[in-house]
Amino acid sequence: MLRLGAGSSDMRKILKDDILLLRLKLLIIMCKAYLNDYPMGKYRKKAIIENARSVFDLLPQISSEYGERYGHIFNFQTYAESKEEKNLYFDVFQQRVHLLTVMAKALAEGHPMGCFREKALKDNISAICETITFNSDAGDIKFLKVA
Amino acid sequence: MRRAIRSNVKIVVVDDDKLTRDLMVNALMYCVNRDVLSFENGFSALAYLDADEDSLDIIVSDVDMPEMSGLALLESIKKKWPSKICIIMSENPANEKSASDLGADAFLAKPFKVTDLFKIVQEYIVDAE
Repeated sequence: MLRLGAGSSDMRKILKDDILLLRLKLLIIMCKAYLNDYPMGKYRKKAIIENARSVFDLLPQISSEYGERYGHIFNFQTYAESKEEKNLYFDVFQQRVHLLTVMAKALAEGHPMGCFREKALKDNISAICETITFNSDAGDIKFLKVA
Repeated sequence: MRRAIRSNVKIVVVDDDKLTRDLMVNALMYCVNRDVLSFENGFSALAYLDADEDSLDIIVSDVDMPEMSGLALLESIKKKWPSKICIIMSENPANEKSASDLGADAFLAKPFKVTDLFKIVQEYIVDAE
């Protein structure tokens, strides 16, 4: 039997903040796959749009329910110690994630992507990845080249 | 070697937690570029499979669900259709051995990473041609 997921001692219920982070990472991977010209079929487009919508909907819920946990979840302790500064960084982060959801939806809907939009998308992904300490390996998504 | 997604692979996600269920459906749908079904309990999934045994190839199910647990669903499926791929998810370590004893193909311990879902696709859905 193949075993995947958390180690035995780390197993627990999946919380809303876990879902947001999983969906955000999935959205980043989806955008990176698009930027690398991976094939985009009908269901992949649908999945991107639905995922972007879910991230957009979940983000405000997380901010109210898990406000005190930003430092832990989003690694803000490296940027600032005070709660005010954490909240400020969270606001900026939240706007970046909102922007990413709009960008992802636009690319899935086939809106034109010029070099400046592409650069803006890459920069936004890079800033979000830095905040959540996420670095997807190209090998992780190599199999998406097939459709 | 050229690789391809198994043609017409039919996947179902069974979980009573809507947030987790929708996430799994989204991630798997994106990976395989095919529609992915979902049910909120084991009974519905089993009834769907009973109506047409070719309607599903891969069943991804949570354990703790009302009325019919994922382990009961696994047992019923493996008894009738041993070749169906069953992936069991749980937040309880004790369920890992039970899943293995009942013939689960994979155990997905919660919380999992996006890459764990990719590994499922690579293991069971991407074929070498």
